[in-house]
Amino acid sequence: MVTETKHIKKIALQIAGMTCASCVVHNEEALKGLPGVENVVVNLATGKAAVEYNPSRVTLAEMRKAVADIGYEVVLDTARFKITGMTCASCVANNEKAIGDLPGVGKVVVNLATETAQVEYASDITSLAEIKKAVRDIGYGVADKVEGQESLDREREVRQREIRRQFINLIFAGTLGTLVMIGMFQPYWIFPNFIPSWLNNKIVLFFLTTPIVLGPGRQFFVHSWNGLRRGVTDMNLLYATGIGAAYLIAVINTFWPDAGFGGRDVTFYEAAALLTAFIILGRYLEAVTRGRTSESIRRLMRLQPKQARVIRDGQEVEIPAEEVQIDDILAVRPGEAIPVDGMVVEGYSSVDQSMITGESIPVEKNAGDEVIGATMNKTGAFKFRATRVGKDTALSQIIKLVEDAQTTKAPIQKIADRVAGRFILGVHALALATFLFWFFVGFGLWFSQESRLLLTPYALTAVGAFGFAFIISVTVLVISCPCAVGLATPSAIMAGSGKGAEYGILFKGADAIETTSKLQVVIFDKTGTLTKGEPSVTNVLALGSLSESEVLHLAAVAEKNSEHPLGEAIVRGARERGVDPEDAEGFNAIPGHGVDARLNGRNILLGNRKLMAERQVAWDGLMPEVERLEQEGKTVMFVAVDGSAAGVVAVADTLKETSALAIEELHRMGIQVAMITGDNRRTAEAIARQVGIDRVLAEVLPENKADEVKKLQQEGKVVAMVGDGINDAPALAQADVGIAIGSGTDIAKETGNVILMKDDLLDVVAGMQVARATIRKVKENLFWAFGYNTLAIPLGFGILYPFFAQVVSPELAALLMATSSLSVTLNTLRMRGFVPAIRRRISSGTSPSLSVASPVSP
Amino acid sequence: MKSIGFKSAIISAAISLTAAGLFLLATLSGEYTIVERIGGIGWVALLSMIILMPVITPLVKRKSGGN
Repeated sequence: MVTETKHIKKIALQIAGMTCASCVVHNEEALKGLPGVENVVVNLATGKAAVEYNPSRVTLAEMRKAVADIGYEVVLDTARFKITGMTCASCVANNEKAIGDLPGVGKVVVNLATETAQVEYASDITSLAEIKKAVRDIGYGVADKVEGQESLDREREVRQREIRRQFINLIFAGTLGTLVMIGMFQPYWIFPNFIPSWLNNKIVLFFLTTPIVLGPGRQFFVHSWNGLRRGVTDMNLLYATGIGAAYLIAVINTFWPDAGFGGRDVTFYEAAALLTAFIILGRYLEAVTRGRTSESIRRLMRLQPKQARVIRDGQEVEIPAEEVQIDDILAVRPGEAIPVDGMVVEGYSSVDQSMITGESIPVEKNAGDEVIGATMNKTGAFKFRATRVGKDTALSQIIKLVEDAQTTKAPIQKIADRVAGRFILGVHALALATFLFWFFVGFGLWFSQESRLLLTPYALTAVGAFGFAFIISVTVLVISCPCAVGLATPSAIMAGSGKGAEYGILFKGADAIETTSKLQVVIFDKTGTLTKGEPSVTNVLALGSLSESEVLHLAAVAEKNSEHPLGEAIVRGARERGVDPEDAEGFNAIPGHGVDARLNGRNILLGNRKLMAERQVAWDGLMPEVERLEQEGKTVMFVAVDGSAAGVVAVADTLKETSALAIEELHRMGIQVAMITGDNRRTAEAIARQVGIDRVLAEVLPENKADEVKKLQQEGKVVAMVGDGINDAPALAQADVGIAIGSGTDIAKETGNVILMKDDLLDVVAGMQVARATIRKVKENLFWAFGYNTLAIPLGFGILYPFFAQVVSPELAALLMATSSLSVTLNTLRMRGFVPAIRRRISSGTSPSLSVASPVSP
Repeated sequence: MKSIGFKSAIISAAISLTAAGLFLLATLSGEYTIVERIGGIGWVALLSMIILMPVITPLVKRKSGGN
């Protein structure tokens, strides 16, 4: 709600993070401290700050910053919509500027590759309609951003329309342009023998070229005019200036040959025609290939099942998947896709979850197990209760996360955009300087009657200082176009974030990808991350006539009804070894010590050393072994039968199968690996040795983990923390990159910049490899894009002219420019075949074998 | 918005024409045809206008208090 009295406006800002009266005071003081803010009243209950301010002296962005600086956040509305008609980085800059200049806009990110804008704005000050109007005012189109299948269909439809439009333009301009070129070549070499001379008639060429310039070429003039009248420039202006100037000179030399621009021998019809044709060729190829870079997200969207079989009144009813409600019971048959997320209530099956988690082996599902929507049921039939539907399903959350990542900008992209945004002005300035140089200096010094335009029939005999300087100036305009710069980063980020999603690795934003690629230290939380987080039986020792299997059997019988983690570990360990413990005849828990049970008339005593001492059971024969196990950090449980020592069972947490391999791979990548744990140093170092960890942060209380991360950062390292997204949240938040592992399906709740859907440490490695490959691709693309400009501008400027008497023609410049954009897009498309090295090595069997789970302390 | 655009265009045009005038003065020191001078004036004025508009418009906008 904004009210206005003369120059003072009122706005209600929603502030997040306030918990007490002092928060109110802090926010009021922070806002009042801004020049131009007349009055502030913060209401803790509503979380709103009523601000009276003078908009000519203070902006919304400044108010946001003032609030953010003291640790709170101004919550703004967020809108996402599509912007059509963008072709280059300067279009991005123009739209960001047009939107960002609106008084109520806090943040705007425009993405060229996805053609989307994400705007954070105060609807009190600026409405969404005003934001869209600002976009339309500078000559771009606006369409609502839709999600899911509808988005997929609409996006494809729009892209197809654009491809078709540019294809028709291309055929039209290409055909007529070829005729113009043939006509221009007619007097040369052997062409007079089979090309009729009338095709070289300048009037005929005028009639062939004019439809190209006014038809397919019209778009450049319209767009540049729309932008220019609002003070913004883009690539279209470069094209329009180039095409318009060439065409104008050609027309003057045709109809007023004595005007002094070189006469009828120097018409540039083919320059105007082919320049248009080549630029449109570039646009067409870009439209075709750009769609392919978003293939990964489309593949995700295509996974969404359309139909679901719901049990209603005991009958299976087929309904659209989006109509499934929470708590609906759904039936799934073999070979069918699971429509939404849920919990199995009946039946048994194995489910291929590879499309969501990247896990290649089907996962068994029983009653009580979670199933993920869009995964494929393999063998059995089962029923499940829907727990998450619509936008809350794991698939929808993944799609949203990937889309969000694709709408954000990596720091490297912000620099590239800023450069490209200024480039257009720079290019026009360069074109002006080029013109002045060749007009006043270069022409007089070096002009030769033998001068030629590369790949054209012309000898530039008849041109004067103006004509010559003008051609070179137009060439500089066209050849300098930084089209490829705009695509270089977003297309690679799109490909990279999509590629990550394929492997169940979700990057929350482009900056997460970039920072992940720069990591120097990875800290692993120990319990539950490096280790399985649940104790298991590691050693069984027997005494006397009993075998180890019998000792374990007896221990399992005693613990069968126990709910203690160690007891559960013993029962599970027995079952894994094929021992099925029967029910004990009598069972008595001895709190803090162990249990006492009876089986087939025998008394079983299971417990710690203290219990054995109390019951006076002698263990002399096994004590050296017991002490060795305890020194390894294992928990030893003593088993006595009828008052005599029978054996011991050692229990410990175990390392995950992939821990050692993951750490080995990280070392190979030059990453320092640290482990953080609450364990004592000796135990922690023993574990670290087993997996090859470089640095141990031991005896760290959970609440101090973030401080340890900070200490490493203070050493100047770029640090990642890998841990449980919920328990390790503060440390994940403190790290440069927080990697939440084994997140399962409720992605939205996760802290961390990178979310791994599987509980597999190799995905930490794979994530880093995807990030590095993506940023490498970004750098390659920027190299191609800027490298092209760096090389092409001097050529266009005529640097070689004094030596070879040849200059680059405007149409050749356009062809080179189109090639540059194409090379960037094709380079990005190479990401489609990318497989993280660790995955490639494992699947090809060339990796070192996975280390066998080895015991560590709990 | 319109007044800002108009003001910017006037200022840009004035500076561009000055640049074109300077160009004309410079050509007087050499042997250029009238067509070369006119063509050059046009091209210099056009490029100057294109360069100046995006620079002048935000300045004018800022001067008028962002409205």
